[in-house]
Amino acid sequence: MSERAAVSRARTVERQRQRPRRQSSARRVARSAGAPGSSAWAWAALRRVPATAWLCALIACLNAACWSLVTPPFQAPDEPDHFAYVKQLAETGELPSSSSEQLSTEEINVLQGVHAFQIRLQPQVHTIATEREQQELQSYLKLASTYATPGSPNAGVAASQPPLYYALEAIPYVLAEHGSDLARLTLMRLTSALFAGLTALFVFLFVRETLPEPAWSWTVAGLAIALLPLLGMMSGSVNPDSLLYAISAAVFYALARAFRRGLDTHTAIALGALCALGLLTKLNFIGLAPGVLLGLVMLTVRASRVSGRSAYRLMALAGAIAISPVVAYVGLHVVSGEHPFGIVSSAQSKRHGSLFAEAAYIWQLYLPRLPGMVNDFPGIFTTRQLWFNGFVGLYGWLDTPFPAWVYELALIPAAAIVALCGRSLVQARSRLREHAAELCVYAVMALGLMLLIGADSYLAFPTTDAEYAQARYLLPLLALFGVVLALAAQGAGRRWGPAAGVLIAVLFVGHDLFSQLQELARYYG
Amino acid sequence: MRGVKLALLAGLALLGVALLLTLLASPMTVAATNKVPGSEAPIGATTTGATYCQSHEALPRGTSAIRIWLDASAGPRVSAIVYSRGRVVASGTRGSVWIGGSFTVPVKPLARTISGTTVCASFRLHDETIVIQGMPSSRATAAHDGRHALAGRMGVEYLRPGTRSWLSLGSEVARRMGLGRTPGGTWIALVALALFASAVALTSRLLLRDLA
Repeated sequence: MSERAAVSRARTVERQRQRPRRQSSARRVARSAGAPGSSAWAWAALRRVPATAWLCALIACLNAACWSLVTPPFQAPDEPDHFAYVKQLAETGELPSSSSEQLSTEEINVLQGVHAFQIRLQPQVHTIATEREQQELQSYLKLASTYATPGSPNAGVAASQPPLYYALEAIPYVLAEHGSDLARLTLMRLTSALFAGLTALFVFLFVRETLPEPAWSWTVAGLAIALLPLLGMMSGSVNPDSLLYAISAAVFYALARAFRRGLDTHTAIALGALCALGLLTKLNFIGLAPGVLLGLVMLTVRASRVSGRSAYRLMALAGAIAISPVVAYVGLHVVSGEHPFGIVSSAQSKRHGSLFAEAAYIWQLYLPRLPGMVNDFPGIFTTRQLWFNGFVGLYGWLDTPFPAWVYELALIPAAAIVALCGRSLVQARSRLREHAAELCVYAVMALGLMLLIGADSYLAFPTTDAEYAQARYLLPLLALFGVVLALAAQGAGRRWGPAAGVLIAVLFVGHDLFSQLQELARYYG
Repeated sequence: MRGVKLALLAGLALLGVALLLTLLASPMTVAATNKVPGSEAPIGATTTGATYCQSHEALPRGTSAIRIWLDASAGPRVSAIVYSRGRVVASGTRGSVWIGGSFTVPVKPLARTISGTTVCASFRLHDETIVIQGMPSSRATAAHDGRHALAGRMGVEYLRPGTRSWLSLGSEVARRMGLGRTPGGTWIALVALALFASAVALTSRLLLRDLA
């Protein structure tokens, strides 16, 4: 009886999902010139989002908010630099001009007050613990307000990043203007937590688009992503990665939707706008751009079979919107007589080594060395030690690992998930062939991002072995991870699939719980 | 339906047991250290493999981990060996890719305090730079690499499980969570707990609604 009810519910959900698709994509393209009002379209789109997706978003927000309270101030990757960027933007309306780590006197005082420099990368040092230290912090905060000067032209590693995330964070920064920098940080972190919600929402929608059934597997993916500790930690801190994850997930969703329903004006505008937002959020989005462009070309070619040249107009529209921030950025710098790529161009001078050496390095950053390659990571199995272990748990300033046995134990559920996902893929191989073009686009997006991370890491090599080999940099691919998890649940078969889905979700609850306990032990133990 | 409920109950029960066991365990505490507050400084650096040893160390009874202050951005595999009168009395290894100003090596718990030991840390390097942190001292007592003395003694901490469980330390952890932030106070820990509990409750509800 209950199984029948579940099947019937799944069918209902599927019918609801299919309804908007029944309008032919040809008609959509044909009428694209006279598109209805964007606000009405957006409102209708919002109303179509299922309640489960909103609940997954809420859970992700709650989780990230929890992480924001567990993580001590400025003990998340590069948080002092990102805070400085927001301070500069909010107080002067200008972008930072230098990547020097000499932050403002005001912020330095706060950092000293909370012992940020002593705690960072020193796992044996805990946060302040006594009333005397708390009183000292109050003195530092008083000192900070006394010597406060507007802005912070130096913003460390954040200085070369685009301004969208920081502009959004300027809102809570200004709202808390009567509070201390610590009060501002609290509010800014909570704002970031909202982006975790958006990420989970779009991952849910992406999985719903890509895997038509069963509906329960969308819930599994949405919940697992919402409870992913790395997403919680990054979105519970001040870091543009949180917005990048949300925008990347939205791009995946927009592409999946376009591949199923055809390219229309709204989708073209949405894709272009999302790319523009991505480029305005963090330079890492450049890694996804070639894949998105490939997707746009494929969609256009497909649409042109029905609607002819108007499809190319849509592609031009999407492209123009997408590159508008880059054009504006370059234009502003040219007009003001600076290098066209401003502070971003500083990376160009660091290039070194041959192309083959760089390619070999990037390969080894992710995969075991091939014969003929110089060993760039002696004694390190990068796939396992950098990426897998980093994903399982490396928190704070990457100075908070689990005990070694946890990484061994984690191999068991990881292997089970991979095996179940593989089983699903084998079963669905005929459908995979139907979606080969779309899968190719996602693969290029993933490869682009991985290449970018590898190339950036190579800039610092050999001084630093793997500067950007951090699992958080791969989280823009969370949408694909969501599909892997949904497929893993489905791989257990019709009978056991839902139970496997529950176990996957509970696995992430546990992962999240013990990750936060590890942070508590590291900082307050 | 029943399978889903059972899976959820079993999963949450397993988590509950794991949580309880974790909370009943005691955190590692520093049983002894050669640290002299305020005098910590880099005492050497290397870009090649090395074995650094220093004598006149004392291992307290119950030591089950040794923390040595080496600083790396992606640390190599490191072995720590403690000798007493030429015999190995404790040893352990830390795998590669550790980050920060120290690494911790678990060792077999010691049944008794052993004085007059020599602590050695060995590693091989490729491109990495390791900075040795410690306390400046005379050449006679400084750590050495077999040929040269460093500028002081390596920072070493001997860890053993404390006498109190995490559970009994709960209020202390909550108090510390409330320090160093604005707004602050012990209630921060309660809010964090409430947020996480709400997330878990919503997750369970969604799983039962959509999967059962």
